[in-house]
Formats: sequence, C-alpha cells, structure tokens
Amino acid sequence: MISFRDPSTRKMLVLLLALTLIIILLAIGGVAQMMIIALLLAYILDPLVVRMEARGISRTAAAGIILLTITALIIVGLLTFIPALKAQLIGMSSGESSAKTDLALTNLQQVLRAKLGWLGLGDIDLKVKLAEFKASFGKKIIDFIVTDIVGIVLALVTIPFLMFFFIKDSRTWKKGLIRIVPNRYFEFSLDLIHKMDQQLGNYLRGQFIDAVSIGTLATIGLGALGVPYFFLLGPFSGLANLIPYVGPFAGGIPSLIIAIMENGDLAAGGHVALLFLGLKLADDLCIQPLSVSSSVHLHPALVLVTCIIGGNLFGLIGMLLSVPVTGFVKVVITESLQTLKAYRFS
Amino acid sequence: MKGLFVKKKTAEHPEQNEEEISRLLKAMPIFTDLTRRELAAVARILHEREYQPEEVIFRENEPGMGMYILQTGRVAILSEAGNLQLAEFGDGSFFGEVALLDAAPRSATAVAKDKCRIFGFFQPDLYSLIERNPALGIKIVLGLSRLVCDRLRQTNQRTYAINAALQQMRQTPQ
Repeated sequence: MISFRDPSTRKMLVLLLALTLIIILLAIGGVAQMMIIALLLAYILDPLVVRMEARGISRTAAAGIILLTITALIIVGLLTFIPALKAQLIGMSSGESSAKTDLALTNLQQVLRAKLGWLGLGDIDLKVKLAEFKASFGKKIIDFIVTDIVGIVLALVTIPFLMFFFIKDSRTWKKGLIRIVPNRYFEFSLDLIHKMDQQLGNYLRGQFIDAVSIGTLATIGLGALGVPYFFLLGPFSGLANLIPYVGPFAGGIPSLIIAIMENGDLAAGGHVALLFLGLKLADDLCIQPLSVSSSVHLHPALVLVTCIIGGNLFGLIGMLLSVPVTGFVKVVITESLQTLKAYRFS
Repeated sequence: MKGLFVKKKTAEHPEQNEEEISRLLKAMPIFTDLTRRELAAVARILHEREYQPEEVIFRENEPGMGMYILQTGRVAILSEAGNLQLAEFGDGSFFGEVALLDAAPRSATAVAKDKCRIFGFFQPDLYSLIERNPALGIKIVLGLSRLVCDRLRQTNQRTYAINAALQQMRQTPQ
C-alpha cells in the first residue's frame, strides 16, 4: 500500500515526476518550448480575457480578439523593426568600427605595450581582434536567423495559435482533469489547482510586466544615449532581467562594452552604467513592488544550476525560460505539500 | 459568426441534460431568483460526481471547498467526535453551503448512504463566476446570505426557546 505520508515515498514521487518531465522535454524539445511559451502567455493574459468576459464577450471570442491583436502586433513589429535590425546586424557582422573606437583601441594598445609588454600582450592587435569578434558574433546571429528561419516562422505562427486554444479551452480541460480524479482526492485537487493557479498567475504576470517595463525603458534609454544596436540590447536586458541576481548585470554588460567600444571613451560607458543603475533602482523601488505582488523566492544556487541546465538543453531561450519554469515547479511542489498537510490521506 | 460573439448555451455535461440540472438548481432557495440563462451558466461550472454507498464525500476538519447538491441518493452527516448522525439528506437537497462563503474546516463528515449522484459547487468557481459575471455573482451571494440569515433566525428562535425553558426550570420549585 502506497502512503503519501511516508517521506521517502514523497521524495521518490517528486524524483520520478522530475525525471519524467526532463525525459519528455528532451524528447519533444522544440514543441515543448513552444508549448511552454504559449502556456505562459495564456496565463499572463487570462485577467484580460476575464475582463472581456465581464463585458459579455464569450471566452472563445475574447481568445480570438487576443490572437488577432498578437498577430497584428507581430506583423507590425516585423515590418517596423526588421529594417532597423537588419541594418544593425549588417553593421555588426561587417566588423567595422568608428574612428573614435579605433583611437581608443590604439591608445589602449600603447598602454598594453608599455606596461604589460613583458606578458606578451603587446603583440595583440586589438583592432583586428575586435573586428573579428564583432564579425563572428554578428554572423552567428545572422546564421541563427537564416538557418532557423523556418523554425522562427513556425514559432511565430504556432505559439499564438496554441495560446488561443490554451485560453479558450483551459476551463474545460481543468474540469476534465478534475473529473478523472478519484472521489477521495477530489476536493484536495480542486483546492490545489486553485491555489497553484493564483500563485502562478501572480508570479508569471509580475515577471512579464517587470521584463516588458525594463526592456522598454532600456531600449528608450540606450536609444537616447545613441548606443548602437539598442533594438537588440534593450529587449535583451529586459529578458535577462527575468533571471534574478545575475540578470540585471548580464543585461547591462553587453550594452556597456558596446558603448565604450563604439564611442571610444569611458564616459559613454559611464552613461550606460548610470542608465542601468537607474533602471535597477526603478525596478527595485517601483516596478517590482507594483508588479510582483507575491514573488516566489528562488535560491541563487538553484537559479544558477537551472540556468545552466536550461542553456545546455535549449540554448538562450532555455536559459531565459528556466527561471519561470523553476518558479512554476517550486510553486507546484510547495503548494502540493502544504495542501496535503490539511487533508487526512492514509 | 453570431455564435462566436455570444456566450454559448450548449451543455458541458453530455451525460446530463442542462435543463434537468437547471430545474434542480431552480428548486433551491439560493438560486430561485436566477433566470434560465443564469441557471445554465451555473450548471456549466458544477462538477458532477458519483459516490458508492459508505463512500466519504468530505471529512470533518478537512478544508471546506464548497457545497454539494444531491440529485439522487441519500447522504448522512456525521459528527466524528460523538459518532452521531446529525442529519440525513435525500433527493434534491444540498449541504456544505457555508464552505462557499467561509474557508473554515468542515464541521462534520458527509457519507453516502446509497449510490449518489451529486453536483459540487465550489468556492474557486463561484469567485471566478463573480469576476466574469458580477451581476450573477451578486444574485448567488445574496441567495446564500438569505439562506444563512434564515438559518441564524431559526437558531436564534431555538436559543430563545431553550433559554425560556431553562428559566422556567429555574423558577419552578424543586
């Protein structure tokens, strides 16, 4: 007889669940990513659907309106940002740098030769190295876009459609899921699903608002400071902000390096550093207290490990999704254990 | 196209006629003020369950999630402390409604005496309905409040009667 009260049984169950999840994710990789993104979007947009329902619009119609809006936003976004992105990516992949950068690199090289020549660093041609790095980085992004163009188009079409069905049918699926639960665990399941729904909804919506706010502010700020590639760097810093502790730094460092390299003086880097310091303060003092009403505390070591696993399994997207997914799993486990305590299962 | 923008009326209980569930609901004091359309909306969020004789529906001291509407069968409400049967419910009756308003643990255990077909109406679904359709939500909460007031009035009357009887006993010479 299996007893849920037995700690070793619980540990075994959690381990089995985690292993099954990892195997499934590995087996269906790309599909799993699209489903996770669609599910996260459906969760985030649910309050909007509820508001529409309160105005007498059916859930199907509300999901349809959201699908059409997102499709329109994707089309407008692609038409608006592709030319700007293209110019910035071509500029990056050509490896060219400004006269100021060249001057700064020449000065830096002279310092290296004079002070650290004995280490063999004086022989390094910094201009060539920077051009090579920029060209290879830009080429990597272009290669990623070109080779994955089918995948990107497929994702842009599939994710909104999956999201539509997740929104439209979530209640029916939830009810169907509860219907198959044995009578003894029926109320427990309802209680658990309700609590998880609330916690996850708050957490994911908070994270989303936070990432969008920081991404938008960073894009505007970097654009105003004249930092090149701000269309790439701004949204990247918003997404990186999803990763607690290291995210704000990881999001700011590329902008800082590019600002110094392109302008050729440390002052430009100082402006970018001040911008990100201001963003971090605004995030901690205003955005997070307003958006993340009930945050899910994740241990720094856990964040680091899940980011590495996510990165190894699914690359950059896996790395960014690893934090909300870990938050999701933590809420599921914590709420399950807490709710389980209130029931007398034998 | 019209169906896309108007809330669907189709039943989500293929095994049960929505009309039949609406009739069952209409007979209950909580839902008497609801229109046919509103009754159908409530019917859609109910959870249909079947219990075998002697099967426990809910246990005393476990969290209460909502009320149960008994379509067919008999249910006994038991107090575990004194091993007493507090009440028995039959076809068309309902129990556990206080859990819709209050998150306190169940005060008694409910056990099926026969094979029962029951509809569960739960707090999270009521809250979600209030968010989506506040007018309907208020009607249901008012219905619940009336029921609770009625029960309170009855309890008060019983308390007065018991107090009066006690006073009379005290005044009567031994």
